[in-house]
Amino acid sequence: MQLPGADRSRRLLAAGAAAAVVTVMALVLIAGFRLATQIRSSLGVLQATSALQTYPAVIAQQLAALRGQLDTLEYTGHVHAELGATIHKFNQALAVIERRRGLDPAAMRRVGRLWRAYRPLLAPVLAFSAEPYDDTDTGSSLSAAGRAYDAQVRRAQLFAQEHARELHGRLAALAAELQARTAAAAARLRTLLLAGVLTVLGLAAAALYLQIARTRHERAAREAQEQTRDILKTVREGFFLLDADYRIGAVWSEALTRLFGRNDFAGLAFEELLRDRVSAETLATAVKYIRLLWGERARENLMKSINPLGQLEVSMDNGRGGRESRYLQFDFHRVMGPKGVKHVLCAVGDITSNVLLARELQEAQENAHSQLDMMVGMLHADPLQVSTFLDSASAGLKHVNTILKEPARTDAEFRKKLAGLSRELHSIKGEASALNLMSIAQRVHHLEDMVGELKGKSELTGNDFLPVVLKLDELLAHLRGVREMTARLVTLKDGSPEPGATMSVPQLRVVPAEQSGAPSALERPARGGGELATMLQQLAAKLAQDHGKRITLTLSGLGEVPDAYLATIKDCVIQMLRNAAVHGIEPSEARRATAKPEAGEVRVDFHRSEKGYELLFQDDGAGLSPEALKQAAVRKNILTGEEAAALDNRAALALIFRPGFSTREEVSMDAGRGVGMDVVARAVYALGGKIGVSTNPGRFTRFKIALPEASQAPAVA
Amino acid sequence: MLREEELKTFVDGTTQYFEVAAQQPATIGSPYLLEGEPAMHDYTGIISVSGKREGVVYFTAPRAMLTVLLMKMQENDFSHESMRDLVGEVANTISGNARRDFGHDFVISVPSVLTGDKPDIPHKPGARSFVIPINWRSHSAKLVVSLT
Amino acid sequence: MSTDSNADGGRRQVRLLIVDDSNIVRRRIERSQRLGEIEVVGTASNGIEALELARRTDPDLVTMDLTMPQMDGIECISRLIELKPSMRILVISALADKATAVQAMEQGANGFLHKPFTDRQLNDAIAELIF
Repeated sequence: MQLPGADRSRRLLAAGAAAAVVTVMALVLIAGFRLATQIRSSLGVLQATSALQTYPAVIAQQLAALRGQLDTLEYTGHVHAELGATIHKFNQALAVIERRRGLDPAAMRRVGRLWRAYRPLLAPVLAFSAEPYDDTDTGSSLSAAGRAYDAQVRRAQLFAQEHARELHGRLAALAAELQARTAAAAARLRTLLLAGVLTVLGLAAAALYLQIARTRHERAAREAQEQTRDILKTVREGFFLLDADYRIGAVWSEALTRLFGRNDFAGLAFEELLRDRVSAETLATAVKYIRLLWGERARENLMKSINPLGQLEVSMDNGRGGRESRYLQFDFHRVMGPKGVKHVLCAVGDITSNVLLARELQEAQENAHSQLDMMVGMLHADPLQVSTFLDSASAGLKHVNTILKEPARTDAEFRKKLAGLSRELHSIKGEASALNLMSIAQRVHHLEDMVGELKGKSELTGNDFLPVVLKLDELLAHLRGVREMTARLVTLKDGSPEPGATMSVPQLRVVPAEQSGAPSALERPARGGGELATMLQQLAAKLAQDHGKRITLTLSGLGEVPDAYLATIKDCVIQMLRNAAVHGIEPSEARRATAKPEAGEVRVDFHRSEKGYELLFQDDGAGLSPEALKQAAVRKNILTGEEAAALDNRAALALIFRPGFSTREEVSMDAGRGVGMDVVARAVYALGGKIGVSTNPGRFTRFKIALPEASQAPAVA
Repeated sequence: MLREEELKTFVDGTTQYFEVAAQQPATIGSPYLLEGEPAMHDYTGIISVSGKREGVVYFTAPRAMLTVLLMKMQENDFSHESMRDLVGEVANTISGNARRDFGHDFVISVPSVLTGDKPDIPHKPGARSFVIPINWRSHSAKLVVSLT
Repeated sequence: MSTDSNADGGRRQVRLLIVDDSNIVRRRIERSQRLGEIEVVGTASNGIEALELARRTDPDLVTMDLTMPQMDGIECISRLIELKPSMRILVISALADKATAVQAMEQGANGFLHKPFTDRQLNDAIAELIF
């Protein structure tokens, strides 16, 4: 993210630093230039002063030399000229010094005064231009002018000799002063330069630091910008801001492009984003909601709780010219500015897969309802059998509903229902399985599972039964569907247009019991024992296949079963056959190992007895182990350890008739729910009959059911 | 086909009503399918449903239960009118709350109230009727959801 | 709250109009406000009654049911707002779907309280609207 304000101030700082560097440099240079000029002129003066210092001695010497010449009467001309030149130079140098301001004026004056004292003495000497000698034959001598000149020279020389030191001293003092001043100026210049350099260095460092900071900051800003871009590019939700005109801002995340298949969001009205993708009514609600977001009236929590776009079905181009439904989730967050809501941040997510998953689950459940699976198996089933089954199943489910209807408030009252529900369902499932009506058997199995799970729950309430009653409802609907389907199939098979044909068929079965012994009756073999026999053979074959076993089922006398007992006998044999297939008959390998024929043999024999009828059911399987039965009973809390130990073998075998008993732990479609033999026993007792079991471990299990004479009235399933 | 969550919406709406209005939640008894005409209690508040689902939702309760409920709500008017009012309000609240799950297109009527044990309930043919006993304190009422 | 022309010098009580087709609900709301700074100026059992009462009693605050015979709450809200734009309206309804809430808010409602409600929820909802 860019921070323009901070950046500008940083830039200003850098410019200020540069300006300061320039200013300082200029000031230093100007001051330095002036100091240097001063020093240069001082050096000229110093030079002049140095030269001046030597002149008093030179003047004295030259005057002395001039006197010497005069004494020896030698030519004075060029010494005179030299003196003149020296004095001229002295005057010149002195003029230089005098022009120089700032020198100690008192010292200056003293030098001037002293030099002016020289002048009257030197002036006549310099002014002499005559011939100082008179040359005669006897030799040369001083002329009169010469003598005067000599006297002037002598005076000047004396004065010069006398004052040379003083003049020199004064000039030296001046020079020293000048020297000191120049040194001070040089020192100042050095200091100035040093200070200037240091200042410039400092400023340069500051400028450099600022520059580095700026660079770093720019890089950070660039990185932040890049990160923002990356976030917007990668985030799965569509993000954008809405302005007060409900239009989309200039920045949005790329997911938005993917979600809506367009790229022209900047300035797009929110309404346009959804137009033609949702129903007019939904669009209107959405627009109203968006407007409310800007309102004073709406508090954040309230607005959140009434967001109507939490799961919005939208229609989208699927990229192949068609449309498809997608589900979007919109979240809105208000961005507050100083004057109320500034923007609304909108986040859009695609929750299609979640919604579809939930829907698929639901559809899978409802599909279990479809007619297709009803067909399977039913095509092979005898419509009459199916119809009979449907009647008894409906009656059974009615009973289930009656059990549910019993008022219940406490855990115990709810729990009391479970055993009855299980028994009833188990029996319906057995029949459905036997008829290979798997669509029904599976549903009942599922319902039975639900009930079974409730048994394990600690505190039962009415809520736990809601899924049960729904499933029951679904099952009844399914049975109605099967009934309709059966009617249609019958119509197809018989070519009969009468849809009610199957419904009336069960009544045909009402045959007086006395006639039941006559196998000649046309309908009997088909609708009585023969039908049962066929069904049992089918079931045996199916069970053998399901459990990977081989079973030979031998049936005899089933044609003798009076109608009054037919339903019960059928239920009992189905249950015993399932038990035999699951528990009794061993797998082929096990049987080979014990020298038994590979195919297990199950015999069912129905015949008249002295007191009525007798059914024998025998399998040559593993038999029952009284010890195993006892242990199972203890494990299932049917008996305590002591009670079990006290049972003899006979009593132990009778355990299998107790409600809720099973020797198998796992649950399968066919047996093992602990409601197998107790159902059989209950049904037998209900007819006033008896049931007994005998076994030889490893060899056989035999059930013997004794039934009294059938009553006149036909039994109702 | 009514889903479990949907049925639960009504059930929870009912138990919650008691909890909020009378500070004591109701529990539900064992639900079952309606066969024939249900045994009705003294007062029955009925909401007709149209739109996405069709049918009726009704709450039927004995006078004694409504009396205690009114007392818990700090009412002191136990007239026939007050009973009718309450049973209608319960039915309205339960159905209105159900819109949370069914949406705007679950259109509910103003409650109508029937009295007596043989009221004529306008069941929609083809609708599935679930009876949910509502237990509160020692009393029992029924919620019946009968929707297509 | 906007100060009204008929303010009586001291601090004016908030004037509440209760609209619900259930007597019981009306009385409940009334009872819950008995001790507060709120003066119940009227109760109505449908939209038409509510409008008429509002004209006469000039309420500052209205609790509004939605499902009512003879002019439902939604329509009544917009009429009330036309009558007095500063009026604050708290919808109290069992209708729990979002579109209904949006619709009510759009018509001019200021808050939404779901039935069933406790006294505390009611007082909080009212407090949020008037303070």
